[in-house]
Amino acid sequence: MNHPASTSMSTSSAQLRPQPWYRRMLSDGTTIIVAILAVLTVIFAATQADALSGSVLNDILNNSLPLALAAAGGTLVVLTRGFDLSVAGVVSLTNVLVAVYGGDGPWGALQGAAIAIAAGAAVGAINGYLVAYWNLQSIALTLASMIVCSGVTLLILDAPGGNVSDFMTYTLTDRIGGVVPAALVIAVVAYALWRILRRTDWGVGLYATGADEAAATLAGVPVKRVKLISYVLAGVCYGLAGFMLTAQTSTGTPNAGDPFLLLVFAAIALGGTSFAGGRGGVAGSMLGALTLTLLQKVLFSTGVSSFYTGIFQGVVMIAAVVVAVVFARIGSRGEALA
Amino acid sequence: MADALAPSSAPASSRAGATKILDMSGIAKSYGATVAVRRVSFDIEPGEIHALLGENGAGKSTVVKVLSGIVAPDTGTLTLDGQPYAPATPMAARAAGVSTAFQELSLLPNLSVAENLMLPRQAKGAAGLVSVSQSRERAAAMLAEYGLGHIHPGVQVHALSLADKQRIEIMRAVARKPRLLVLDEPTAALSDPQWLFDILERITAAGTGVLYISHRLSEVRRLCRRGTVLRNGESIETVSLAGVEDAQIFKLMVGSAARDSHAARSSAPKDTAPEALAVTKLAGGTVQDISLRVGKGEIVGVAALEGQGQRDLFRMLAGLTHASAGEIRIDGKPVRLSNPADAAKAGIGFVPEERKTEGIFLGLQTDTNMTLPLLGKLSRFGVIDRTRETAAVLEEAGRVDMASRYLKLRIGALSGGNQQKALIGRVLMSGARHLVLFDPTRGVDVGTKAVIYDVIRQFVAQGGSALVYSTELAELIHLVDRCVVVYRGKVAGVAAGDDLTEPRLVALAAGHGA
Repeated sequence: MNHPASTSMSTSSAQLRPQPWYRRMLSDGTTIIVAILAVLTVIFAATQADALSGSVLNDILNNSLPLALAAAGGTLVVLTRGFDLSVAGVVSLTNVLVAVYGGDGPWGALQGAAIAIAAGAAVGAINGYLVAYWNLQSIALTLASMIVCSGVTLLILDAPGGNVSDFMTYTLTDRIGGVVPAALVIAVVAYALWRILRRTDWGVGLYATGADEAAATLAGVPVKRVKLISYVLAGVCYGLAGFMLTAQTSTGTPNAGDPFLLLVFAAIALGGTSFAGGRGGVAGSMLGALTLTLLQKVLFSTGVSSFYTGIFQGVVMIAAVVVAVVFARIGSRGEALA
Repeated sequence: MADALAPSSAPASSRAGATKILDMSGIAKSYGATVAVRRVSFDIEPGEIHALLGENGAGKSTVVKVLSGIVAPDTGTLTLDGQPYAPATPMAARAAGVSTAFQELSLLPNLSVAENLMLPRQAKGAAGLVSVSQSRERAAAMLAEYGLGHIHPGVQVHALSLADKQRIEIMRAVARKPRLLVLDEPTAALSDPQWLFDILERITAAGTGVLYISHRLSEVRRLCRRGTVLRNGESIETVSLAGVEDAQIFKLMVGSAARDSHAARSSAPKDTAPEALAVTKLAGGTVQDISLRVGKGEIVGVAALEGQGQRDLFRMLAGLTHASAGEIRIDGKPVRLSNPADAAKAGIGFVPEERKTEGIFLGLQTDTNMTLPLLGKLSRFGVIDRTRETAAVLEEAGRVDMASRYLKLRIGALSGGNQQKALIGRVLMSGARHLVLFDPTRGVDVGTKAVIYDVIRQFVAQGGSALVYSTELAELIHLVDRCVVVYRGKVAGVAAGDDLTEPRLVALAAGHGA
């Protein structure tokens, strides 16, 4: 508000229009992640003979899907300017729940998915209620709920085990009709649901809340409810992530969710969502998750030791963040001149 | 057009008997121990534009918050169109027919103009989903109706100029067709307010009441027939503006006109004192062009209404804001203050505005808070010498009149006054020769204020210099030798000697100096 530079009377200029599409693309984080993804794919295709075969692609998608779903959920909370660390706990919890209580066949899988979604939603509801209505700090609270979830997980299953049906292990990770990977279908459905939610009053209110809570309240946005819904939906996403992780690993592991904690935020940052709230989206985060997985494959195919994975993931993240800042500067410079 | 707005022909006069739009009586609101408004009563008739006048901190913004459903008053009653009115949320206020254009603007920068105008419920298309095209269509129609056709509804609000943002904020409030429209400093960013005046003429002709808050008295006179003056959280008087002069209004805002001006001021003319701290044609942030000089042994005040650039002026002197042009001189030598360490090295002791976030470390002990900047001097081979630390702190605590039992407590547990004493003590201990104090007595009690005044006076008597900003004009008059008044980022005037009176400062601060 304190920038007098922009007080020039705009009546003198022609109508102020939205930025042209190429400028908007520059300042949109998704563009960067698509570019990184394209580069990685080219390297991957050049270094591994069967890189673009159906089964390898299916493999990559399967490996990425749990992280992509979890990152999609985390994005909803980050957009409200919050942090949800409970993801690690919820993924472990639902992984174990599905492995222990999921039944056989499609109906058993459905039962497992329902349990996972219910558990995720319950944790999300508690997080969201306490953050939104009691004004608790999201990092502290969700750290606590992550620890509680990990504890509950150990009560259900204290060592790797459980019983995962063949339907989950094989059919849910296969290609439908031998062509379309099931993981891709699930990811697309999740993204489509986000597109629909984005076009509700909650979707607009989500961005309003993240940008400026006080102004959003004054404008009539039900800020508390918007936050509560964000945390609940995030929990549902973590639950689905745990469910798909079970299908992929075909086992229940009490600490299966631990790697998700940092990777989720890495995927969100890569996808161009701002941790200051109100900027970004689910698509970038899901692609960010895909990028992190693909990067591992590329390092493997180029013969780099797996010990270097972390270093490369970090470097790519830094590059993405730097490029995003540079692009945003270019974007806003054009704006000031307009 | 504008003539129809002349106070004498305001529609209100012909409808004096009709139900009042708003009747506020005996409203009080406290935040903890701080009284925001004590007793405020006034009423607004149909079609009336009612002015609310008062200094910073007189309680105007609290009245706005009460009317907008942001805070609930502790006591007092409100009626709107004869009905009891007690909004619990901003939405309830809006539903009851009160809409507000806020001073700090309630637009979301990351949403488009159309989305902002539609909040909280966007236009819906097929399947009950938000329709961007319909929202934009409705927003475009609204913008055209209010003469803002040059703004495309798809533009993100952060790309708009401040003036256009303000217009959108006002338009959004007006477009809700309220019974009572509350405008809080609506022309602060508008260089040509005629646009607003035309709208006000239209809606008051339809019987809408308007509460108009502005520090521009000329505007208020043009628009309003009556105005209510607030002072220290109380409504002092509702006056018919046609019958009173500006000077009289300023007097009402300030209180007893002939308050005994300054007690212990040395009468020696200080213009001849060697220059200690000076700025020439300084610009940066919201500061446009400020020149001032503080002599050795002199206390110079800065007075200004909210947001006129005083904040950036002080932050530049503290090395917190970048100066884009002009010169800062200390003891006659030009200096560059690009960070707080530079400022400290140059001998500037800065006491910031936000004590809790910028000044002290709430979790640390009081003595640690005081010695933080000079731990280097108090340590031997990098290890802090506790005996020397204790001695230094005790001496300083004596100077700022702080009981030694507070020193070992966490500073967060102390009262605001004692925190401020510790903070000033720390600045003095650091060996500063020029005090730069931004509202040093904000939220402290009367006794502490007196101590702070004494500390500042002693400090300059020993050869230091001080530049003090305060929101309380009475305090400046009591404390300073000269007072520089800042208005819109520039120096509006300097008051000294017999000229250093509250009405004079208020007039200068409101841009009526010339």
